[in-house]
Amino acid sequence: MTSGDLLLQQTINGLSLGSMYALLALGFTLVYGIMELINFSHFNVFMVGSMIAMLILQAFGVVGQETVMTGLPLVGVLVATFAVTMVLCGGIGVGIERYLLRPLRSVKGPAVMITTIGVSYVLFNIVLLTLGTDAKNFPNPLPPILYNIGGAVLRLREILIWVIALGLMGALTFLVRYTKIGRAMRATAQDPDAARMMGVEVDRVVMVAFFLSSALAGASGMIFGLYYNLAKVDIGFAAGLRAFTAAVLGGIGNVPGAMLGGVIIGLIEAMSGQVVGTAWTDVVIFGLLVLVLVFRPAGLLGRIAPNKS
Amino acid sequence: MISRRTTFKVAAAITAASTIGIEAAHAADKVIKVGMSMSFTGADADSAARTASGAILAFEEANAAKTIKGYTFEFIKLDDATATAGQYDPAQAATNARKMVSDKAIVAALGPQMSGAGKAMAPILSAGNLATITPSSTNPDITDPKFAAQYKPNGKAIYFRTVATDAFQGPNMANFMADKLKVKTIFILDDSGAYGVGIADAFQGQIEKKGVKVLGRDRLDPKAADYAAILTKIKALNPDALYYGGVNQAGVKLMKQSYDIMPKMIKAGGDGIYGGDTLKGAGFPAVDGWYVTNASPHVTEDPKASKFTTAFKKRFDVFPIDYSATCYVGAQVIIAAAKKVVDSGKEPTRDAIRDAIGGIKLADSLIGPVSFDENGDVTNKVISVFQVKQDKSKPLDDPDSQFKYDGVAPAA
Repeated sequence: MTSGDLLLQQTINGLSLGSMYALLALGFTLVYGIMELINFSHFNVFMVGSMIAMLILQAFGVVGQETVMTGLPLVGVLVATFAVTMVLCGGIGVGIERYLLRPLRSVKGPAVMITTIGVSYVLFNIVLLTLGTDAKNFPNPLPPILYNIGGAVLRLREILIWVIALGLMGALTFLVRYTKIGRAMRATAQDPDAARMMGVEVDRVVMVAFFLSSALAGASGMIFGLYYNLAKVDIGFAAGLRAFTAAVLGGIGNVPGAMLGGVIIGLIEAMSGQVVGTAWTDVVIFGLLVLVLVFRPAGLLGRIAPNKS
Repeated sequence: MISRRTTFKVAAAITAASTIGIEAAHAADKVIKVGMSMSFTGADADSAARTASGAILAFEEANAAKTIKGYTFEFIKLDDATATAGQYDPAQAATNARKMVSDKAIVAALGPQMSGAGKAMAPILSAGNLATITPSSTNPDITDPKFAAQYKPNGKAIYFRTVATDAFQGPNMANFMADKLKVKTIFILDDSGAYGVGIADAFQGQIEKKGVKVLGRDRLDPKAADYAAILTKIKALNPDALYYGGVNQAGVKLMKQSYDIMPKMIKAGGDGIYGGDTLKGAGFPAVDGWYVTNASPHVTEDPKASKFTTAFKKRFDVFPIDYSATCYVGAQVIIAAAKKVVDSGKEPTRDAIRDAIGGIKLADSLIGPVSFDENGDVTNKVISVFQVKQDKSKPLDDPDSQFKYDGVAPAA
């Protein structure tokens, strides 16, 4: 491998990692943008998503990496699994919002955020007690197709991850920018009281935000499984923390910022593994985050919002 | 005519009666209580269960044979893994050690399974003068006289082993890779745990002495998901082999991703990635071809051990691993020590058993002759090498049929 190939390969690695972080970061940003709430249950909705996807794929008869599908059956199984995983995770998000967070909406202070941490642990422990702590061999029906670009290798599943991530991000951007509910979301984000006075159903907007955010977490949980062939009860914390960092880096509350942040964190992770050593990756990522926040306290694309109160 | 069902009933009745009989006899016996702290949940749970079962079998056999008149063995299992760690947790291991020390009825212990747990437990056990025999923790520091102030502040050896240490496991594997596998260049990784760093350091020291070029050394975060960056770097350096010092949590992810990135490279590790958890977590084809070592003689395929393996299979319905045998022998040492104390007319107290263990010599155990040096290390040190070779006719998560014995690694 020449150093050019190496750079290309690490970029491919970084982009795959980055698209996963970006999808997850979108969920943080979406909820924060509307409610100014850091939703820590997102960490483990992601983990539950990968477990749900694993169980569905197993129900389709996919075992380990040994069942390889092609053509229409492959597309069908993947689309069905993505759809069901996203809907179920979205449902979990809506349930969390409706029954655990809405009753606290009028409470001031960090109570709601602490509740989301609690919910996160509840989800963690439910999976822990039902599926156990061992590393699961995530079923993967993708054929091991790869393309050589010079000395670098591009795998089918990397392309798939990029396409799915880009598609979902595009759909979300369209939804927020050009649809009625999107306008309602933006209005609520700017000023919930004024939005309510203009006839926006704020409760519904919040619920939609939670649904979308959790559905994206589910999708990214499934992508995680397909990419690493692994599902484990503790994956939520490491990936969630990186994604949260990505959201802050890009400017929390800002949709394109979350995507940018995710990709940047993914690329930094790959490059620092190459140049400095993986033992230092966290130091590099969080060092950079501190630097960015010193010079741009609202993140790369964020703007300092006027105080709503 | 006696129907089959009645035969069953009769048999069941007889069994029930005899069980009650044994219990009645036991009730009159005094109890020798042994604590067992291992990682019964988490990334290494399967190995823990198989290892601990070795001791359970030994104690049950001793109880059934009434090896020590008037005494029966009882054991309690403590889990040193936590959900947040996902594997052994040194803090939980320390708690377990305190629990065992404070329970005056516990006079000896078995375990821990992991060196990181052992480092946390040793000072506490030393303060309580509670001897433990570890069947699988191999980090040499714990019994090294250099670190005596840290791990045995009380001065007396309390950490005994029925396995060799990584001072042998690492270097002997280095010899194997340099001599048998003809490796000329290598990259070394560890999982930043006590065991992983120690074995990787010991390995690196010896392989450098053998003239093999070490192209780099890096450290994996066991909680991170992605090792593609470092593996891509390794692929570009193109070493002959990769050596990993560490346990399953990082190990299975490393196996999966290194298979994707460099499927043909020679890959090897220590006893931390031997076992059913490794096979289950990494899965085929990723795990195929990996070399691993065990810091004990290979006994489960030895015809001389067939009595043990058959009894084990019958009792637990799974096949033993080699560390089931080291744990069985560890329990035998405790039984022999307790017997020596009782035969000499003394009470089997914690102090008496600790003093006795150091002098125990088993001439012909499952793992060969067993005796301990003044630090508590087993004197007969053997490192066995295995390679994963998929055997589709057997269960894919059964270590005994998927890890093929490759001989003894040459001593340094």
